[in-house]
Amino acid sequence: MTQDLAGREAGAGQDRVAQDVATGQGGTAGQDVAAGPAQAQGQATRLTGGRLGVVGWLRWGWRQLTSMRTALVLLFLLALASIPGSVLPQQGIDPAAVTQYYAAHPALAPFLARLSAFDVFGAPWFAAIYLLLFTSLAGCVLPRAFRLARSAGQPPPRAPRYLARLPQAAGFRTDLAADPALESAAGLLRRRRFRVRTGDGWVSAEKGYLHEIGNLLFHLALLGLLVSVALGGLFGYKGNRLLVEGDTFANTPVGLDVFHPGRLVSAGDLQPFSVTLNKFTATYITSGVQRGQPSWFAAAIRYNSQYDGKLHGYDLRVNHPLIVDGVQVFLIGHGYAPEFKVTDSTGHVKFDQAVPFIPVEQSGLTSAGVIKVPDAQPRQLGFAGVFLPTQIDVGGRLASAFPAADYPRVSLVSYAGNLGLSSGQPQSVYSLDTSRMRRLAVSPRPLAPGQSIVLPHGLGKLTFTGYRQWVSLAITYDPGQVPALVSALAALAGLILSFLVRRRRIFVRAAPAGEPDGVATPGGATNGGATDVEVAGLTRSDAAGGFEIEFAELASEIMQEVRGGAAAAGQPGGVAAAAGPKGE
Amino acid sequence: MPNTGLADFSNVTLVLAIVLYAVAMLAYACDFAFGNRQAAATSSARPQPARVEAGVLVGAASGTELAGHAFPADPGDPTELADLSGGADLAGPGTGGTRTRGTGTGSTGAGGSAASGRVEGDAAAGTAGAAGGGGFPPGSARSGLPEPALMAARPSLWPEGTWLRGAFLLTCAGLALHIASVASRGLAEHRVPWGNMYEFIAAITCSAVLVLVVGMVRFRAYYLGLFVLVPVVLALAVDVVVIYMPAGQLVPALQSYWIAIHVTAMIVAIGTYIFGAVVTVLYLLVSRYERQVAAGETSAAAGIWDRLPHSEVLDRLAYRAILFAFPAWTFAVIAGAIWADHAWGRYWGWDPKETWSFITWLVYAAFLHARATAGWRGRRAAFIHLFGFTCLLFNLVGVNLWITGLHSYAGMG
Repeated sequence: MTQDLAGREAGAGQDRVAQDVATGQGGTAGQDVAAGPAQAQGQATRLTGGRLGVVGWLRWGWRQLTSMRTALVLLFLLALASIPGSVLPQQGIDPAAVTQYYAAHPALAPFLARLSAFDVFGAPWFAAIYLLLFTSLAGCVLPRAFRLARSAGQPPPRAPRYLARLPQAAGFRTDLAADPALESAAGLLRRRRFRVRTGDGWVSAEKGYLHEIGNLLFHLALLGLLVSVALGGLFGYKGNRLLVEGDTFANTPVGLDVFHPGRLVSAGDLQPFSVTLNKFTATYITSGVQRGQPSWFAAAIRYNSQYDGKLHGYDLRVNHPLIVDGVQVFLIGHGYAPEFKVTDSTGHVKFDQAVPFIPVEQSGLTSAGVIKVPDAQPRQLGFAGVFLPTQIDVGGRLASAFPAADYPRVSLVSYAGNLGLSSGQPQSVYSLDTSRMRRLAVSPRPLAPGQSIVLPHGLGKLTFTGYRQWVSLAITYDPGQVPALVSALAALAGLILSFLVRRRRIFVRAAPAGEPDGVATPGGATNGGATDVEVAGLTRSDAAGGFEIEFAELASEIMQEVRGGAAAAGQPGGVAAAAGPKGE
Repeated sequence: MPNTGLADFSNVTLVLAIVLYAVAMLAYACDFAFGNRQAAATSSARPQPARVEAGVLVGAASGTELAGHAFPADPGDPTELADLSGGADLAGPGTGGTRTRGTGTGSTGAGGSAASGRVEGDAAAGTAGAAGGGGFPPGSARSGLPEPALMAARPSLWPEGTWLRGAFLLTCAGLALHIASVASRGLAEHRVPWGNMYEFIAAITCSAVLVLVVGMVRFRAYYLGLFVLVPVVLALAVDVVVIYMPAGQLVPALQSYWIAIHVTAMIVAIGTYIFGAVVTVLYLLVSRYERQVAAGETSAAAGIWDRLPHSEVLDRLAYRAILFAFPAWTFAVIAGAIWADHAWGRYWGWDPKETWSFITWLVYAAFLHARATAGWRGRRAAFIHLFGFTCLLFNLVGVNLWITGLHSYAGMG
């Protein structure tokens, strides 16, 4: 992906320069090579020099945008722009952390929010950078792809006149005449799968188009990746659902706790399946330094699919998602849901259900939650507290020593008054607004399953009847997933191709020894019957090295082939080759 | 449950490996201090970059024959790239060995003599420069081109000099113990042994030394031993003393065959990146020294720099490392994305670790582009390379320590 992009620098100059090298017009090949980039720069300077129309300026701007320097700057900018996204909390990843940040930095946070700093990867300035980068990429790569397509049908360029000027060159003398010598060299190059062109006294061969193809594939695949991501953003959706053992949810916007639809997704587009959680199992390491660390999570679920309408069982685990109707369901979290039964002053049961508590720490899975009983008479009741899976007493403070429910207890604070549910303001089910409630004088003694709190003033009674477990599920649908994977793998393949393959040209010239042929002959003497053969090599993409070895091998094989041909032809005095041509 | 016997064996072999590496470091340093100067010059192939690998075509011809036309095939020569692809930077970044082609004698001579002042072995290049532009001596062919020879002239891969041989053997022995330590840890735990920070550092240092040994043999770059082993020994010492975690089980989030794919690819890529970064630091130091020499100045550490190869050899070696590491990293990131999709329901979620691997990828991509951009080759590109490595290190250390995210498996809490 690298070297050939140097072509960005000189734009169309690249082909011309290469052509100059190849044809070696007028013995100035070397100078042409040197002058090529300078000319290209000269053009650029002229372009920037003013007296340009609108079209000229547009062309200039486009050339700037698609230049390698701009691409470099944009790459750096994109890297730089990503950094705040990893340092500051992000709304799309951890909304709670953003809320915390607001609380901790009340002055700074609104300012940062105005800069989209809590949504960096959706920010307009972030999009501006990557869209510019991709425009620059397309502007560079597409013309190159067209050039490659055009050149695919064309034979290699003529051999330069002065092969000695090329970076790799070698020569030898043979008794074979020039034409058969060239013929045998061309034959060898063809067998080596070079594309060969022959002319009067020369052979030109080229190989390694896969280098450029790989390079282009890589860059085009990146464009494909961008399109795939956009596809997911438009037509995909994701949702979350917390599900207590025994409960069922349906994949509808209402059935999900959190629903993030793509821009072009409507409620009717959701695949209608439902999932029931039968049982969740978690095991933990019980000894050693890893004590308390989870070792196994599994959720036994039942689901129905719209296609067969039947119920299926499934063992949902971390790293083992459920795929139903093209939608993926993941196990991403778990916790405890203690069950409570509340009777009010009238003696009627006004509340009897499991309440999901949210873990506040991982080592003992201490979980916090609230119970709201809006129907209680005469006053609404509210409870806030913690569930301790394995309760211990640490210096008078309650804590949980282990995440499994080995000694489960709940500790609650009781309130009576107005829950504030009728104010019209949406309220979280995980927090209690106690501003219009009165704390009841009840001992916060932890409750074992089956135990109760009797509220003062005959307000009622709460019983901790037991506990269930809950899982949180992520439901995602991303139609861009497979295209993204294909693009990424194509990019990788292109990268490897362009790094492994080098595009190279081999030229051979043969002339009777001592004949002028437009080349200054130092010796000047004519050697009857002998032929001088020159071999030269050129590569465009060999910054990592290695071509000189390939060239040396190829040149010596050509020599052996030609000399072997001479020996076979029984030429008098033919230089016997040490060995025949190397095998294919 | 982990097998404690094997786990203990792993701990002991790792400490032994560190000791061997440290002794090897000492031996490399002794080679720099007391080693045979001539041996060092030949073993590190000082004179001409091309002869390191080609050793054939160019090696077969004498310096005079090459003068002026058959450029001593310097594949890393940035000007060559510029010429062929139409780049504008013909003069190159000003390294000693840069030749400007096709313009006759002067530049060739300058290139040759700039390099020649440093090591005796450069005499040939110096002569080539001095004789450049003269008429072709009668060669085997009309234009005096060297005759192609077979690949028989490939030099020995074995390091020369007692200190260097000893150091190399110690490195190999240390690596064997290191591999044994990592493998026995994996056997003790019945899983791939890279589930936490301690195991991960042991694995990436192992990978770095493996790349070092391969690089030393493949490119006859024995001079690198000291410089790669220093960070390896430091990292391993910190790993064993500060970060150590006893053998244990994986958290459910890591219980997937993808850990064997994603993390292994990361380890291979990072080991190579470490190697590339060390070579790049050397490149920067040597190229600065070369500029000092060209300006007629001296350097206090000239004794060290003279024993290192030409900066272009280092530049090319670092580049080769990235040519391998970058696709490996790309693969590792893709594998990570597939795993993330499998485990978390999205293939990319801008988790801090993901973000920083993306940043690292971008900066290394910028490095690759910079090497192909006029005015950015050489030292500037090298600085971008090191910046990319800094991002990589931050992702390994900084993100684990200071930023919480889904990748918080390091066990450093």
